Amino acid sequence: MSRPVLEVVRLGLVSYSEAMRVQRFYVDRVKSRPSSAWTLLLCEHSPVYTIGIRTSQYPDRDLDLLRTKGAEVHKTNRGGLITFHGPGQLVCYPILHLGLLKKGIRWYVGQLERTVVDVCGQFGLRANTSPLTGVWIRDHKVCAIGIHCSRYVTSHGLALNCDVDLSWFSHIAPCGLDKGVTSLSREMQRRICVEESVHPLLHSFSRNFNCDLHDAAPPHLHRDPGPCPGHISGHS
Amino acid sequence: ATRSDFSSLWSIETAAVFVLFVCVPRVWFLNFFKGTLKFTDKHEWVRVEGSIGTVGISNYAQEALGDVVYCGLPEVGQKLEQMEEFGALESVKAASELYSPLTGEVSEINTELAENPGLVNKDCYGEGWLIKMSIEKPEELDGLMDQSAYDKFVKSLED
Repeated sequence: MSRPVLEVVRLGLVSYSEAMRVQRFYVDRVKSRPSSAWTLLLCEHSPVYTIGIRTSQYPDRDLDLLRTKGAEVHKTNRGGLITFHGPGQLVCYPILHLGLLKKGIRWYVGQLERTVVDVCGQFGLRANTSPLTGVWIRDHKVCAIGIHCSRYVTSHGLALNCDVDLSWFSHIAPCGLDKGVTSLSREMQRRICVEESVHPLLHSFSRNFNCDLHDAAPPHLHRDPGPCPGHISGHS
Repeated sequence: ATRSDFSSLWSIETAAVFVLFVCVPRVWFLNFFKGTLKFTDKHEWVRVEGSIGTVGISNYAQEALGDVVYCGLPEVGQKLEQMEEFGALESVKAASELYSPLTGEVSEINTELAENPGLVNKDCYGEGWLIKMSIEKPEELDGLMDQSAYDKFVKSLED
């Protein structure tokens, strides 16, 4: 097939639930018409802990305790264990059709890791990968990855720590591991915000996945009137 | 009878013995081992034994997934429609959905996989089986691929 085209949709700061609604829209679109444009969702979340399909490791009382810290808690259908999302973390959800790429999930996750290693390289940071999925600087995790794949269509994705408050991670064993976390800001010893990381990520993604990227507006999804009806248009 | 008569008789009998005791059992054994395997285009297989179908994923699928670390399987008694999502396998922090090859009811799940999910990679056609189910609509089997059709299908994906 010719070079795939991905629409880059920037949601800005959104709740996890809102992002999942938007993601579901794009996933359903690609499932029903695989030839329709694929999507790269970019956003930041208000503070939230999420867990993957291995839910038995997290009894409800542990999740309730996390809620007392001021964050939401969500169970998801992705792989991976528990992680945190919050302001200052660049979250990216690529929604594409692996069947049309003739690739499997193991390749896809490897490509996401390579993409983020490249992003770190653009900041002059040496990042690495390991048998434990994710991207590391020395043995501190700078980017978490967790994916869902249904009928060849991918959802969920990666979360890159830019200038997120890392103390949120102290309440969990991130991804079930007894290892530290870090951020681009901590490694660079200067503030690197989400906005500064977007262009390097898009550049790396386009190169590693050999695709073209175009900006697109978020979808207008029917929703109940809320306090900020313009919130979904994603101006941060 | 001349010597040549005996010779030709002997060779016919030897051939007959060879066919009966070597070739036939070998063919029978191969067929039994592979069972009547049918495949879906989502890389699940089903082996029919009487009125029960055993379901798993193909070698192509387990290679594409990587090391399986978790198997999310349905409950015994759950009713499944053909092509309905019935569970997920997790590998490399990715959860990949599983699709029922047939319509029926789950009669057994492979409880070994809770402790040893890697069986799906190690022995995907044997000990790495996922579920057993009743076959409510045997005609659905006709729509699935046999081994050679599936091999061709996989080849077309790799090209």
